[in-house]
Amino acid sequence: MLSDIAYSAIRISTPLIFAALGGLYTFQAGMLNIALDGFMIIAAFAAIATAFATGSLTAGVIAGVLASMLLAAFLALFNLRFRAHIFIAGIAVTFLAYGLTALLLKSVLGQDGVFASDQIPTFPAIQIPFVRDIPIIGPLVSGHTLLVYVAYLSIPVVAWTLYRTRWGLRVRIVGEAEDAALAAGIRVDWIKFQTMLISGLFCGLAGAYLSLGYVSLFAKQMTNERGLIALAAIFFAKGRPVRTAAVALLFGLATALSVRLPQVTGAAPQLLQLIPYLVTILAMVIVGIRTTRDNAHNGGWRFDQ
Amino acid sequence: MTDVPLHRTASFSPIRFLRPLIGPVSAVVVAFVIGGLLVALLGQNPLTVYGLLLSGSLVGWANLSVTLQLTTPLIFTGLAVAMAFRAGIWNVGVEGQMLMGALAAGIAGYALPVPAPFHVPLCIVAAAIGGALWAAIPALLRVYLNVNELVICLMLNPTALLVTGYVATHPLKAPGPTNKLPDILDSARFTNYSIFSQLNTGIFVAVALCVAFAIFNRSTVRGFEWKLIGLNPRFAHYGGIRVRRDVLTIMMASGAVGGLAGAEQVLGVYGAFYDNFSPGYGFDGIAVAMLAGNHPLGVIVAAFLFGALNSGSSVLQMELGISKYLVQVLQFIVVLILAAKFSFAFLKRRSPDDRVPPASPVPQSGQSHVTET
Repeated sequence: MLSDIAYSAIRISTPLIFAALGGLYTFQAGMLNIALDGFMIIAAFAAIATAFATGSLTAGVIAGVLASMLLAAFLALFNLRFRAHIFIAGIAVTFLAYGLTALLLKSVLGQDGVFASDQIPTFPAIQIPFVRDIPIIGPLVSGHTLLVYVAYLSIPVVAWTLYRTRWGLRVRIVGEAEDAALAAGIRVDWIKFQTMLISGLFCGLAGAYLSLGYVSLFAKQMTNERGLIALAAIFFAKGRPVRTAAVALLFGLATALSVRLPQVTGAAPQLLQLIPYLVTILAMVIVGIRTTRDNAHNGGWRFDQ
Repeated sequence: MTDVPLHRTASFSPIRFLRPLIGPVSAVVVAFVIGGLLVALLGQNPLTVYGLLLSGSLVGWANLSVTLQLTTPLIFTGLAVAMAFRAGIWNVGVEGQMLMGALAAGIAGYALPVPAPFHVPLCIVAAAIGGALWAAIPALLRVYLNVNELVICLMLNPTALLVTGYVATHPLKAPGPTNKLPDILDSARFTNYSIFSQLNTGIFVAVALCVAFAIFNRSTVRGFEWKLIGLNPRFAHYGGIRVRRDVLTIMMASGAVGGLAGAEQVLGVYGAFYDNFSPGYGFDGIAVAMLAGNHPLGVIVAAFLFGALNSGSSVLQMELGISKYLVQVLQFIVVLILAAKFSFAFLKRRSPDDRVPPASPVPQSGQSHVTET
């Protein structure tokens, strides 16, 4: 039972970790990208439609990633070139993606709410040779599909690019002091564009995993606010990669519990589904109290926001 | 916003009145062109599609009354968003405020046996309070802890859905298979005006509210102050406006209007609080407010446009098999275009400042700045 929940928590956390890692780059570059859900849904659709048409998982994943990156480039174009506010543009892009995928679901795949088919290939479970024989950890770690391992192995890579490379340093400078970055000759908009594309890359993997790995179907708005929860994880961990992934895993565990516990105890699923949102709000309140105390002489309310 | 003249010019010129319409109208036209290309790609004739959208939403009282019914919630949510956006506050939590208002109205509607003339007002007040209290959460956090209200609002939307869903499925669930509260009493129901749709008294409340806010914005000191906060909160503060208190008030007023959207749905359309009843009216409100340029009277027009599209889209779905989500695509293309600041030099009023080249190559970066809180 417990190992069952832990196993499904690892699965459920995978798209959250992908999306959170993607959101991290833009967060570190000073852009609050609230369109993660939009990137994910378009990737989920492109992935499953391509996999259905070609019968190839690789083609599906690549199509998902490309679609997501295309949408990311579109958002970046509007934000960086046309100076649309990132919040408004992000919301618009998200709902555009929701609408577009639902529209295409009907027109291309001929389904109204849900698309599923036997012809969609599935990822094989990977049994890791020696690890799977370890008593408790083995069955948890082994036997997942490829994208799950990619997600968890991406965490150190993301941490490395952000904190151990020249490019990562630039990203963080852009996020912390844009004017200083400009003065230092960093091409701020170019760096921001790159982080947005990487955001699209990771959300593309998240979306492809959702429709091809986690389940083998596409439903409209199937991301279920996972992008928001990923954003919450980023906020909660203040943008540190490993911590963000850990929080995402924690949220995944809460989701796994909210699926399982009602079956056992009869508790209302809604109350358990509330956990990620309440934890996030609580975290933002705590961060707010801390910064307000630090800037007590400013009175907390910064008038130029 | 910088080209507001300091004094009212005496001469009347139609250009002055038409200028604010150029942006929204061209955005809608561009969105329709893009949508037409999309429809053509899907193998349909764009003209047939748009013709059907038009006739399916406006021709005949049956269609028109559905359009008006779908317009009503959009007026409420659009006005709620516009009030906050005008003051520079990112209230994107109208969806949650509407759900909370609907829940409050739903409970007051069945649980309080009040004499008929007082029951409807009581439910409306309950809904307004429900929405205002839900909006007070991000507002208080914004004002006292400097927490980004947009993120909190976005988190509170699903929270509201889960909380209301819990109430409608567990403690107060009506007997039967549907997840809803018990039906409201007849004394709490809005009058229905059409046998073809659930068009109800709510639309008059909505329009009256818009007119009231148009007058409030234009003719009262407080309305001017709220606009000033949106333009420049620091200046407003040094000008003696109590920004904190006003931001709280604006947010709660916006939430109250959002709550009324829920009241209209419960008292006028459904007759009970149903779990997950909203197809996203709160988010559509963002599109309405953007198209209206945050002007209360513009909200009515924009809400009617989107209401008509929504109503026509169901005909589209039946006749041509095109998903009704085509409208959502159009709607948010409009938002994207309006959010972008395309620089068309010929549309701008010439002022001496325009001829001064920018002093430094620093791009205008304030727009994309995010306060990390």
